[in-house]
Amino acid sequence: MFTFLKKDILILIRDRTELAILLGMPFILIAILGFALSGVLSGNTEVLSMEVAVVQEDDEQQGLVRFEEKLADSGMPAPARQGIMASAAESSPASLLQEVLNDEGLKELVVATEMDATSAKAALEEETVVAILTIPENFTFDALQKMIMDEGNGSSLQLMIAEHAATQSEVFHNIVEEFVWSLNFESAIAKAANGENVLPEAGQTQVGGVESVSSVNPINSFQYYTIGMAVMFALFVAATISGMAYVEKTQFVFQRILLSNHHPLVYLGGKAIAATLVTFLQFCILFFLSSLIFGAFDLSEGPFWLGILLITASLALCVGALTALLTAMTMRFGNDTITTVFSGGVVTIFAFLGGSFTPTAGLPAIVQQLGGWTPNGAALNAFLIWVQNLDMGMLFEPLGRIALLTVVLLSLSVMILPRKGEA
Amino acid sequence: MLETEELKKVFKGKTAVEGASLYIDKGESVGLLGPNGAGKSTTISMISTLLKPTAGDVRLNGKSVIKNPAEMRKVLGVVPQEIALYAELSAYENLKFFGRIYGLSGKQLETAIQQALALVGLKERQKEIVKTYSGGMKRRINIAAAMMHEPEVIIMDEPTVGIDPQSRSHILEMVRKLNKEKGLTVLYTSHYMEEVERLCDRVYIMDHGKIIASGTKDELKSILSSEETVLIELDRPYPEFFKELQSLDTIKQASETEKGIKLILPKGSRVLGQVFQASERHQVQIINVNVQTPSLEDVFLHLTGRKLRD
Ligand SMILES: Nc1ncnc2c1ncn2[C@@H]1O[C@H](COP(=O)(O)OP(=O)(O)O)[C@@H](O)[C@H]1O
Ligand SMILES: [Mg+2]
Repeated sequence: MFTFLKKDILILIRDRTELAILLGMPFILIAILGFALSGVLSGNTEVLSMEVAVVQEDDEQQGLVRFEEKLADSGMPAPARQGIMASAAESSPASLLQEVLNDEGLKELVVATEMDATSAKAALEEETVVAILTIPENFTFDALQKMIMDEGNGSSLQLMIAEHAATQSEVFHNIVEEFVWSLNFESAIAKAANGENVLPEAGQTQVGGVESVSSVNPINSFQYYTIGMAVMFALFVAATISGMAYVEKTQFVFQRILLSNHHPLVYLGGKAIAATLVTFLQFCILFFLSSLIFGAFDLSEGPFWLGILLITASLALCVGALTALLTAMTMRFGNDTITTVFSGGVVTIFAFLGGSFTPTAGLPAIVQQLGGWTPNGAALNAFLIWVQNLDMGMLFEPLGRIALLTVVLLSLSVMILPRKGEA
Repeated sequence: MLETEELKKVFKGKTAVEGASLYIDKGESVGLLGPNGAGKSTTISMISTLLKPTAGDVRLNGKSVIKNPAEMRKVLGVVPQEIALYAELSAYENLKFFGRIYGLSGKQLETAIQQALALVGLKERQKEIVKTYSGGMKRRINIAAAMMHEPEVIIMDEPTVGIDPQSRSHILEMVRKLNKEKGLTVLYTSHYMEEVERLCDRVYIMDHGKIIASGTKDELKSILSSEETVLIELDRPYPEFFKELQSLDTIKQASETEKGIKLILPKGSRVLGQVFQASERHQVQIINVNVQTPSLEDVFLHLTGRKLRD
C-alpha cells in the first residue's frame, strides 16, 4: 500500500495544474474574500442593521462651563479663552458623537436610541439592542481638558456588546473606534465586551452561525475564509485522487497492478491513504500561509493548533473515505462521469450548504441541517467552535458526524468496488 | 503450456470474440494476426485474466485460470496496446513502481530495473519523464515494465503501433532474441503481417471475432500453393484497365495497390497473355511485372477478400 501511496503523491507533486487547484486557488480565494469582506462577513447591510442604546451620563453644558472655569483659572488671556471656548462648543466631543450616530448615511445601519442605564441593560438582555454605548460622567470636560490642555487622563467611551449579534456589534464597535480615532482622542475604548456576566444564558447553545458563535471569541473574515476554503478544497483532493484512478484504469496501468496479483482493496486503500495525507498537508499549508501572510491565526498558540490538527485529521480521514468511494465507483462504472459531476457540481453544492462562502446562520434550518452532514460543513462547524471556544467537549458532536460519514463512505466503497480483479 | 477453448466474449449484445481456440507451447513464438477490431485485444485480455469470458476456458498447464487467476498472473508479462505508464514519472520511477508491486526491493529491484532498461536500450535516458519521450521510447518502456518480474510467457498487444522505423526494428529484434535466446514464450499480436511473418513460428489469423486460419507460416501459405501473385507496376492508375482485369474469369482476385495492380492467379494459368492484350487496348504503360511467392497478407486477402489494413 505504501508503494501505491508514494507513487500517487509523487505524481501529484509533479502535476502543476492539480497543485494549483488544490493549493493556489483556495489561497487566492482566502485573500480575495478575506479582504473584500473584512470585518463584515456578509455584504448585506440589511443583515447588519442594528439598534444600539446610548446612555448619556455626561452633561455637556455643565462640562463646557466647567471647562471655561478651568481655562479662566489657568490665567489664559480673555481673547484666547473666548476663541477656544467657541471652537470647544462647536466641536464638543459629545455633540460630534451625536452627529455621527445620527448621520444620514449611517441611519440605515445604526439606529441609536438614548436610554438610561437600567433600561439599556434590559434592552440588551432582551436582545432589542446589540450594544450599549455609555458616554460617561464628565466626558465633555475630561475630553476637552485632555485634548486642549493635555491635562488629566482624558476620557473613555464604554461599549458593551451583546452576545447574540456579534457581527453587528463588531461593526458598531468599528464605527465608534473610527470616531475616536478621527477625534484624535488619547482615549481608549474600554470595551466591556460580552459578557458572560451580562448575559449568562445566551449564545453557546447555538452553533454553526458566525453571529452566535463569534460572540464568544470574535472571528474575522480571514479566519472564516481560511477555514471555509480549506474545507471546500479538501473535497477537490478526493476528486483529484480518484481522477488519477480513472487515468490508471483507462491507460491500463490499473490492469498492470491487478496482474501483479494485488487485491483491488489494497489499491483502494492506497488511494484513501494518499488522499488523507494530501488533505492533511493541504490544511497545514493553507493554515500556515494564511496565518503568516494574513495573520489569520496566532502561530504561537500551541494548544490552539492541537485542536486544529485534530479536526484536520478527522476531515482528512473522511476525505480519504470519500476518495475511496469515488474511486470504487469509477472502477465499477468504468467512466469518469462520477468524478466530473463531483468536482463540477457536488463540491460547489456541498461548499454552499456547508457554509464555505457565507455563514449558513441566515439560511433555512433545513439547509443548515444538510450542511452539517456534509464532511466540509461538519468540519467547518468544528473549526468555528474550536476557534471561538477552545473547548474540546464541544467538538464531540461535529467530529462524531465526520466519523460516522467516514465509516459509511468506506463501507459503501468496499461494497461497490469490483471484486477478484476483473477489469 | 497455455491454451484456450472456444473463448467467447459478448459486450452488451455485441459479439467481439467467438469460438477462439488456440494453444501456445513452451518456448514458442505465436502470432495473432488480424485487422483492427478483429477481437485480438479482447482475446488477449481473456487469456491474461483481465476479462471474464462469456463462455469458454483458458488453461495454464491444464488448469483453468478463470476461477483462480493468480498462477497465470505470476508467469505472465503483458504488454498492453496502450502506453500503460505514469506519464509524470521518469522511466526509472515507473519501472521501480512496477517492480515493487511484484514484490521486488533493494538490490534485486535495482538489478531488475537496469536489466529491463538495458533490454530496451534506454539506460541512458532513464531519468527523463515519460511524457517527454518519443512514441517509440514510450513503447519500449512499456515493454520493459512487463519484464520486471521475469515472466515465462509474454503477451504483446500491437507493441509497435505508431512508432518510428528505428524503434520498431529495435523492438522486433528484441522480441526475437527474447524468444530464441532466452526461451521466452511469446504471443505477439499485430495487424502488420511483416512483423508476424518475421517473428512468429506459428500464426492465428483472426477476423470479425473468429479465428479463420491457423498454422505455421508455410502451412498457411500452402493455402495459396495453387495460386500465384502477380504485381503489375503502372505509371498511373487506369480504372478501365483494372475493371477489365476484374471481369476476367481466369483471374481469382484483382486489387489496386499503391504502385499498380495485384493479381492472384491459378498457378500455371496462361492468363498473362490476356493481361498484356488488355493493356495494349487501354494504352496502359506497364513499368514492371513481378511474379511473387505469396505472403501472409495474400493469405488474409484470399481468406477474407479484404486487405489487412484498409
Ligand atoms: N469494452 C468493450 N465494450 C464494448 N465493445 C468492445 C469493448 N472492447 C472491445 N469492443 C469491441 O469488440 C471488437 C473487438 O475489439 P478488439 O478486441 O479491441 O479488437 P482488436 O484488438 O483486434 O483491434 C470491436 O468491435 C470493439 O469495438
Ligand atoms: Mg487491439
